[in-house]
Amino acid sequence: MKKVIAISLIAVIAGLVTLSFRTESTKKTNYPSSVKDSVGSVKAFMSVYKVLMSARCMNCHPSGDAPLQGDDNHIHAMNIKRGTDGKGIYSVRCSNCHQAENTAGLHMPPGNLKWGLPPANMRMVFQGRTRHQLALQLLDPKQNGGRTKAQLIDHMANDDLVGWAWHPGDGRTLPPLTRPALVAQVRLWIAKGAYAPSAKAK
Amino acid sequence: MISITVNGQHHDIDADPNMPLLWVLRDILGLTGTKFGCGAAQCGACTVHLNGEAVRSCVTKINRAAGQNIVTIEGLSDNNNHPLQLAWNEISVPQCGYCQSGQIMSAAVLLRENPNPTDQDIDDAMSGNICRCGTYQRIRSAIHKAAAMQPEGAKL
Amino acid sequence: METNAISRRNFLRTSSLAGTALCLGFYFPANAKKEQLMSAATADQLGFEFNAWMRIDTDGKVTLTDHRAEMGQGSYQSVPQIIAEELEVDLKDVNIIFAIGDPTKYGSQITGGSSTIRGSYKRLLKLSATAREMLITAAAAKWNVAASECYAESGNVVHKPTGKKFHYGELVTDASKLTPPTEVKLKNIADYKLIRKPLNRMDTPMKTNGVAIFGLDKKVPGMVYAAVERSPRLRGKIKSFDDAAALKVPGVKQVFKIQMLVFNTTRDGVVVIADSTWAAMQGRKALHIEWDDTGFDHINTADIYKAHEELLQKEEGLSFKKQGDPDSILAKADKKIDVIYQTPYQAHAAMEPLNCVASYQPDKIEIWGPIQAPDWVQGDIAGKFKMPKEKVIVNMTFLGGGFGRKAFLDYTYEAVAISKEIGAPVQVVWTREDDIRQGPYRAGISYRGQGSLENGEISALKFKMAGQNIDHWNGPARGHANESTAEGFLKPYYDSIKNISFADVPYEMPLPNMWWRSVYASTNGFAYESFINEMAVLAGQDQLEFRRKYLKEERCQQLIDRLEEVSGWKSRKKNEGYGVAITECFDSTVGQVVKVSRKPDGKVKIDQVWAVMDCGWYVNPDIIRAQVEGSIVMALGAATIHEITFKDGLVEQHNFYDYLMPRMSDMPPVEVHIMENTADAGGVGEPGLPPFSPALTDAIYDLTGKRVRKLPFNMNTI
Repeated sequence: MKKVIAISLIAVIAGLVTLSFRTESTKKTNYPSSVKDSVGSVKAFMSVYKVLMSARCMNCHPSGDAPLQGDDNHIHAMNIKRGTDGKGIYSVRCSNCHQAENTAGLHMPPGNLKWGLPPANMRMVFQGRTRHQLALQLLDPKQNGGRTKAQLIDHMANDDLVGWAWHPGDGRTLPPLTRPALVAQVRLWIAKGAYAPSAKAK
Repeated sequence: MISITVNGQHHDIDADPNMPLLWVLRDILGLTGTKFGCGAAQCGACTVHLNGEAVRSCVTKINRAAGQNIVTIEGLSDNNNHPLQLAWNEISVPQCGYCQSGQIMSAAVLLRENPNPTDQDIDDAMSGNICRCGTYQRIRSAIHKAAAMQPEGAKL
Repeated sequence: METNAISRRNFLRTSSLAGTALCLGFYFPANAKKEQLMSAATADQLGFEFNAWMRIDTDGKVTLTDHRAEMGQGSYQSVPQIIAEELEVDLKDVNIIFAIGDPTKYGSQITGGSSTIRGSYKRLLKLSATAREMLITAAAAKWNVAASECYAESGNVVHKPTGKKFHYGELVTDASKLTPPTEVKLKNIADYKLIRKPLNRMDTPMKTNGVAIFGLDKKVPGMVYAAVERSPRLRGKIKSFDDAAALKVPGVKQVFKIQMLVFNTTRDGVVVIADSTWAAMQGRKALHIEWDDTGFDHINTADIYKAHEELLQKEEGLSFKKQGDPDSILAKADKKIDVIYQTPYQAHAAMEPLNCVASYQPDKIEIWGPIQAPDWVQGDIAGKFKMPKEKVIVNMTFLGGGFGRKAFLDYTYEAVAISKEIGAPVQVVWTREDDIRQGPYRAGISYRGQGSLENGEISALKFKMAGQNIDHWNGPARGHANESTAEGFLKPYYDSIKNISFADVPYEMPLPNMWWRSVYASTNGFAYESFINEMAVLAGQDQLEFRRKYLKEERCQQLIDRLEEVSGWKSRKKNEGYGVAITECFDSTVGQVVKVSRKPDGKVKIDQVWAVMDCGWYVNPDIIRAQVEGSIVMALGAATIHEITFKDGLVEQHNFYDYLMPRMSDMPPVEVHIMENTADAGGVGEPGLPPFSPALTDAIYDLTGKRVRKLPFNMNTI
């Protein structure tokens, strides 16, 4: 009986993952277009980068298989692992501690229904990426969860887990831009040609 | 009223929907085998199974458990004879014993999903449970021992 | 003998228990040098309330009392294991109950100083052998044969020539009327069937299915729950508080001010009484309290250690021990070292947060809880609430860890005070944050070690320590050195090193401090044994061989041999760091070798720990191994993971997210070996802790050339 529950849970989770990261290559793109402007585009991305590299975003986009914690991005205590679906493994699944909403109080587990890391086959690493690398990665459907540019904007603007970064619970610093400001910069970056900062950019 | 099923028994709970499952189990249902250790999902002493997952009941509101199936240490087996309980006894794992309900509930999920765990798997699955007496080495041996019992017909 | 005189005089008077059960126990008169063993009948005649330490009923059921707390160290197993051995009963036929607090019945009950076995094993052996002999005498009389033709086995007395048997239950009526013999023969170690055997603990089954009752699990009829917001600073007073929001929390019944006594000071708090733990905790969060910290020292950790260092440079301190003239030798020596070691403040952080159920009634006080010293609690409560001692009933539950903290009297006092105020039984529940932030703590200590060599031999050792003295909490400074100044240091060093001195440089500080597993040895051991390792390096000698030269005593030599053998000390390879330390604690000596290496990512990891324990006479080797394994984990945490720090008088740590604990993934393999000898029993629960940190830092030195002199340190940045 327990096995059946576990299997059906895994199926549901797998379904959710598929939904979250499905590719829509056939869908017509409708991202805003404007005059290409490499300088303006890169400048906008620099702001986007600052947000993505802030603790609230980067901690769940680590370079290793363990999530990070805190404003100092230390490796999550308890030897937590990503797992295939990004939701942890065995008795340390994310949702065993992280609820659908933040648990009230300093240092209590933050929460969201979708709490987790990107899955093992689509790790979407932010930690350690240069501006150049991260820009290219975000634009590459093979590395960004199969997203078109429009879907990328939509993800930043509307995804519920992304939105958690601006409601992180007691004691956690916010990303350096508001969410609307971030989305505006993402739109600008893409509208002006989605240029990646040069590999030498610091 | 919030309906929950604990160890196969149905209960209608009249409590603040924000009350953590831990205190419902302990103070309302009198199931004190599940322990309070930190109240912050740091130590694992309060681990129970919610639909088979090893949730930390100190941060899991009773609301989340509504209509769901909960298993506590008291309901893990009929007669203290889950392979892990047998192995825990054979190896004399507990010292003070306070954290061991949570350790066993965590280990039970590990074994269910991975009947033959390596030391690395045990590190990964069990590092959410603190034992201040330092019984980790014995917990590791007992998990291996329980895993070895399974082919002999023990059920999980 | 007064006992015999009185029992003769009252020969015909029968005990209320005589005839229905054989009960034996001891009486510990307040002024007597030695306890008296007596039966229920005798106790009744003397008018003593009797302690049935051991009771055999007419149905043969044996009930043994564990007079000490069970906090993980195994008294629940080892006390009965001793009694059952000489009594000749099977452990499976034995029922175990915890004693209530009563020093006249059980002697000292403080479960501390690793004293349960070493403090009472001889008495327990005699008690059970006495009962056995009384049963044999009763059987022999029934059969009308000589007692020498009878023996006891598995709860029966057997008549050897005929094979006739009496079950103990059939003999208790007669045996209970006998006067206990004054001399009984004890078994030889070689004949033990239970003692020295790795028997499984009898408390394990109830600790794997949720049945064991810890303090927090105790419920009594009519009980309410209490949470207390106490002053975050030791001597903080309540200026004002607002309970309006707290009283609106559903389930909250009452809010009032309470004072907890902490040694000779008080800690103000506001209590929230509710119908569940959760409601009490929620109510507590809704309190608004203004604290008055006037007059309190706003302590900072860095200042504590700076003050220690200055004292160690300037002051000679109070001499604890001195032989020869280390000062003049050090002054002249060419080859010498002069270094400082430092250890941190530590919280006990037992997994079960403090809690206590108390029921105050006008004519009686009853307490249930995780209590290390029920006899102390009894005396403390009787005194403070002006109640006759016998009207204070202190019940021990299982303890979810203790480590010294649960021998303190603050939480039990507070619970009784709250029960008295509300006129109902109450369970006071501390949170993890209370447990971490309120203390008392193991004090952090700084040491100065000076030593010199002449022709490769130690010519002088001089140690000074600066740190809080636990004793000063029980009264004013007494003008003599901390009695634990040299704790942990092996005594045979005094025979081989002619010039040694230990001094305590008094350092007073109003932070409450308290025993912590292995007490001062937990911190002294790091300094003194690290220093011996540094002297070995200075002499260019192998650390283990170096010790062999100075620890000439036979048991030490054997322990060193064993340590060398089991650790493969001589065949260690390049790229492996090996370290060693040997310490003494509560009459037991433990040596440990730690092996470290670098992982592919360059970080240092512990590959293996070998421990050798010499505790003399012992009961259960598996419990000893478990205790040493656990002590090593606790030492690992204190050496590399956590410390308590203070900022502006407040503790900076809160819970396991900032007072981190070793976890499964930090656990190195540990191998424990026990020396076989028949010397008097030493402690087991604590002596495994002190040698770990000096052995670890020595191994790190061996591997990296870096000497760690301040704990805790981060393994990831070595």
